[in-house]
Amino acid sequence: MLRRYRFEILAIITILAFCVLFVYTSSMSGNAEFAGSDDIGSSQISRMTGVPEENFHPLIWQWVPPSGEIESALFALQAAVGGIFVGWFFGYWKGLKGRE
Amino acid sequence: MHIMEGFLPWQWCLLWWFIALPCLALGVYQLKKVLSLDREALPLLGVVGGFVFILSSLKIPSPVTMSCSHPTGTGLPAIAFGPWITAVIGAIVLLFQALFLAHGGLSTLGANTVSMGIAGPLVGWGVYRALRDTRVNLYATVFLAAAFADLFTYVVTSLQLALAYPVGGFWTAFAVFMGIFAVTQVPLAILESVILMLVFRYIVQLRPGILIRLKVFPGSKITAARGDA
Repeated sequence: MLRRYRFEILAIITILAFCVLFVYTSSMSGNAEFAGSDDIGSSQISRMTGVPEENFHPLIWQWVPPSGEIESALFALQAAVGGIFVGWFFGYWKGLKGRE
Repeated sequence: MHIMEGFLPWQWCLLWWFIALPCLALGVYQLKKVLSLDREALPLLGVVGGFVFILSSLKIPSPVTMSCSHPTGTGLPAIAFGPWITAVIGAIVLLFQALFLAHGGLSTLGANTVSMGIAGPLVGWGVYRALRDTRVNLYATVFLAAAFADLFTYVVTSLQLALAYPVGGFWTAFAVFMGIFAVTQVPLAILESVILMLVFRYIVQLRPGILIRLKVFPGSKITAARGDA
C-alpha cells in the first residue's frame, strides 16, 4: 500500500514541507512583501542604471490589466485552460484503458 | 522570469528574436510531423502542454528570498517531444501572458521564449538524454530533467539581463540577477519536479505504448517501471 502510493506520498510530503518552510520564514521576517521576481528584476535594472522605472517605456504598445482582480482572473483562465487539457486527455486514456 | 516590456534595449530584443524564430520554425515542423505519424501523440501533447499552462500561471512564494515566482513545467514536454516542440508550447503561453497579463511583452517575447521555451528545456532534455540509457531510475531522470529545465530558465533570464545591463561588469551583474531569479527558484524547481514525476508516473501507467513508440525511454525501462507498481 505504502509502496504503491509512494509517489503520491512523496508529493504530499514535499508540498507540506514547502508550506511549513514558507510559514516559518515568512513569520520570521514580518515585513516580507512577496512581490513578483519580475518586478524586483525591473526595479533592480532601474537601480543599476539610475534610470527611474517610469522612464522605461514599452517598445511595443501593451495592454495592461486595469486591476489586480482582472489580472488574477486572466491567470485563473490560463490555469483553467491547462486543467481542461490535462483532465480531458487523462480521462480519454482512462476510458480507453477501461474498454481494453 | 519574464523580462518586462520596455526593460530590454531593442538591439537585445532583436537578437533574442533572431535566435528564437528558427527554433520555433523547427518546432512547428517537428510538431506537424509527430502529430501526423502517431494519433496517440496528440493526447500526450495535451497533457504535457496543459501542465505548462497550469504551472506557469501559479505565482508561488519562495521561502528563500520572500518573493514570488512561477514554475515552468517545461521539463515534461522536453522529455516527451524534445526542446524544439517545447519551444512552441512555451511561446504560446508567453504570448498569452504578454497580450493579456502584461507579463513580459511583445518586444521581449523573443528573449523570454529563449529562456523558458528553448534554453531551459534544452538543458533539461540534455540531462534526460544523458541518463536515458543508463541504469539511473526512470523517475529520477524525470525529476532531474524537470528541475534543470526550470532552474536553467531563470539562469538564462539572469544572463540576458546581465548582458544588457553589465553595470559593474558582466559577472557582478550576473550575480545580482541570479540572486533575484535563480535563488528564488530553487525550492519551486524541487516542488515542480516532484509533481511532474507523479504526472509522468500516471502516463506510464495509463499509456505506456506512446512513450515506447516515441522512444521516450527504452521499452525495458518502461516495463520495469510499470511492473514496479
